[in-house]
Amino acid sequence: MSNKVFNILIAGIGGQGGLTLSRILAEAAVKTGFSVKTGETLGMAQRYGSVVSFVRIGGNTYSPIFGSGEADVLLGLELTESVRNMRYLRHRGLIIVADEYRPPSMASITGRAPSRSVLLAELARYNAVVVPARKIAVEAGNPRALNMVLLGVLNAATNILPHHVVEDTIRSIIRGEAGEKSVRAYYEGHKWFKNHR
Amino acid sequence: MSSLNPLKALPGTKLALMGNEAIARGAVEAGVYVVTGYPGTPSSEVIMTIQRYGGDLGIYVEWAVNERVAFEIALGAAISGARALATMKAPGLNVASDPVISAAYSGVDGGLVILVADDPGPHTTQTEQDDRWFAKLAKLPTISPSSPQEAKDYARVAFEISEELMLPVMLLTTTRVNHAVGEVILGEFKEPRRYKGFKRDPPRYVRAGMKWNLERHKWVDQQLSRVEEVTGKHGLNRVEGSGDLCIVTGGAAYNYVVEAVESLGLSGMTRILKLGLIHPLPARFILENIEGCRKILVVEELDPFIEEELAKMLYRAGLHIEILGKHAGWLPFEGELNPVIVREFIARATGVRETGGAEPVKPGVEIPERPPPLCPGCPHRFTFIALRSALLRNGFKPSDIPVFGDIGCYALSVNPPLNSIWTEHSMGASISMAMGLKIAGFEKPVVAVIGDSTFFHAGIPSLIEAVHKRVDMLVLILDNDIVAMTGHQSTPAWSRTETGRETRGISILELVKAIGVDNVAVVDPYNLKEAERIIGEYLVRKGVNVVIAKHPCALEERRTKHVEPYVVDAEKCTGCRACIASTGCPAIIMVEGKAYIIEEDCNGCGLCVRYCQYNAIVRRER
Ligand code: SF4
Ligand code: SF4
Repeated sequence: MSNKVFNILIAGIGGQGGLTLSRILAEAAVKTGFSVKTGETLGMAQRYGSVVSFVRIGGNTYSPIFGSGEADVLLGLELTESVRNMRYLRHRGLIIVADEYRPPSMASITGRAPSRSVLLAELARYNAVVVPARKIAVEAGNPRALNMVLLGVLNAATNILPHHVVEDTIRSIIRGEAGEKSVRAYYEGHKWFKNHR
Repeated sequence: MSSLNPLKALPGTKLALMGNEAIARGAVEAGVYVVTGYPGTPSSEVIMTIQRYGGDLGIYVEWAVNERVAFEIALGAAISGARALATMKAPGLNVASDPVISAAYSGVDGGLVILVADDPGPHTTQTEQDDRWFAKLAKLPTISPSSPQEAKDYARVAFEISEELMLPVMLLTTTRVNHAVGEVILGEFKEPRRYKGFKRDPPRYVRAGMKWNLERHKWVDQQLSRVEEVTGKHGLNRVEGSGDLCIVTGGAAYNYVVEAVESLGLSGMTRILKLGLIHPLPARFILENIEGCRKILVVEELDPFIEEELAKMLYRAGLHIEILGKHAGWLPFEGELNPVIVREFIARATGVRETGGAEPVKPGVEIPERPPPLCPGCPHRFTFIALRSALLRNGFKPSDIPVFGDIGCYALSVNPPLNSIWTEHSMGASISMAMGLKIAGFEKPVVAVIGDSTFFHAGIPSLIEAVHKRVDMLVLILDNDIVAMTGHQSTPAWSRTETGRETRGISILELVKAIGVDNVAVVDPYNLKEAERIIGEYLVRKGVNVVIAKHPCALEERRTKHVEPYVVDAEKCTGCRACIASTGCPAIIMVEGKAYIIEEDCNGCGLCVRYCQYNAIVRRER
């Protein structure tokens, strides 16, 4: 990686592990010797609201957040939230998104929630990498490790961080068995990208 | 959440820390001995970090019942020479304002630091309160960091300044510092500073309208006049770059300024005055360093505090330099700044063209909002549904009976489909505002809804008032045994705190009885029929009637109890949406015209089952 800053926007729903993911990225980046900044925008509740995390690795950054059109990667944990936050993506930026459909429940009552296929079509216009993250996470033994699958795909696509550093960081932040499964999910995500591109 | 223990890692280590974790580390480095506060986003992680990682540091770190009590505990410790920290969000400072405002008059011997977290945006706060004004009001030296590294360093320095000036010091932050993560280089530790001695000294400690308050006021003002000089050695203010385009900034806004100046190619001609000392503003530093400025841009979050002070300073010094900031309409008064707003401002103010890249991606699909709902299985959902049926059962329409809400997760019931609370004002206001409406002449029943922690915090005096003045109302205390909204902190009902301290749990039921309410009952809202019956009865009885709706927070219960999720039988589901429309449970979504329950989110509460006429929602087969 050059001395340029690399901006990642993580978009998801509270409770999906976006904040843990941004923290793992931040710690792994610092261990690798990069400068790092992250910022988060939470809704009011702890869970089930829209949550975005800004992660900025490398370069000489000050601000923990960035503006529209400045993300090198949009990392989406959910389809609706990914499309909602597409404005952050820079021209020709990369979209990596879990094929996870959770429309806002109230909008689905009124029928205002875009369907999965509409969202996928929209994402396809920007060549999004759509990851069967849940399937991979379940195979790795932890359906909640969707975030780690995406981390694997991100690192396979961008090579920003060395494997062993990411692995150590995951283990130290997610302790015990869940940590082992998370490491497995990370490698499975990595492998998936290598095999499917 | 940091992997290395941020409170034990060796000096010189570089860690990725969140601003609040950095403040925790800075306070521990400074030798803090008493740490207390009340949870409030974005301030809570300071205490949570010390509680979580500080186990054997041998310091006192506990939540207090409210911010006022927290501050008074910290003050009591500091007048004896101990170093003490009280943490709170902006409205918490309002709660603590009585003791905070007179604290400067007493002065302290041990360093006393109040961390106050403001919330431009506002992301999680009722107002966009700017507590730099409070610094002036309370006559407190106030410093404000821009990054996690500075958050740590300033936390440390705050104790030094406080001791040197013998005044409490406010460490004032905003969300983008509290919740930002950045690399932080750790410093050396000091031994915790405990009790040294406390002597009787009425002029210092007795404020009962005595003549000596005037003398103390003079002393405070004299101390304040020394702040710039005393803080000089800590390098809180600095000048970056040179040129006749000057930008005065501080706090989170500084970060946007530095990046904007660089990206606009203005580095060679711009002088940035970065202020860390916010009250009193460093007049000498500012006047010395604005010499030769053609114009001055002021970039700051929230109100034009620096801008107005600067204008006064220039006027007094007889200087005529144009100031561009919020007042002339260059920057918004409301909302949070961000890199784009600041870059555009500087570009416009300097006439530099932005070399923006291509247009950002515009999605071709409209995405509906995702208002935060109550969690799957939340007991409050049951209580609000019971309340609604109780109203109907008594012949009222929900639009007839005002429901006064309070601060906590249950305020989310304002959203559809519950559409429950009518007001949410400030901690404890539900009961007293309901009382006001009755006194004003409202004749139908009124309902006040308040959570357990909020009741302990500020609801007790209101309930006393209602009972004492004989104002009829129904009070629902939603007792989920935890401060849920801010991240699951302990309440005074716990008999053991987060740090393992053995305590005496306070019983809400006994407390309410002792106040002398007319009727009180405890119900489990999961028992919907019973809850509905009792709420319905108490609603129309004379007197102050309290129903304690007691069931653990669903997220907490889930950690300890086995959960049997429900599933939708797609064969039977007709897609009528009654399950979602009645509960608003976020574990249920519509996929291709059928309801679908996200298994890992479902808490197995069974509420949705009641609304499906087609018996499509069933226990998962094992
Ligand atoms: S209420 Fe029953 S039939 Fe109607 S959408 Fe829900 S699960 Fe399907
Ligand atoms: S049982 Fe129904 S209402 Fe209860 S948590 Fe599960 S999906 Fe939500």
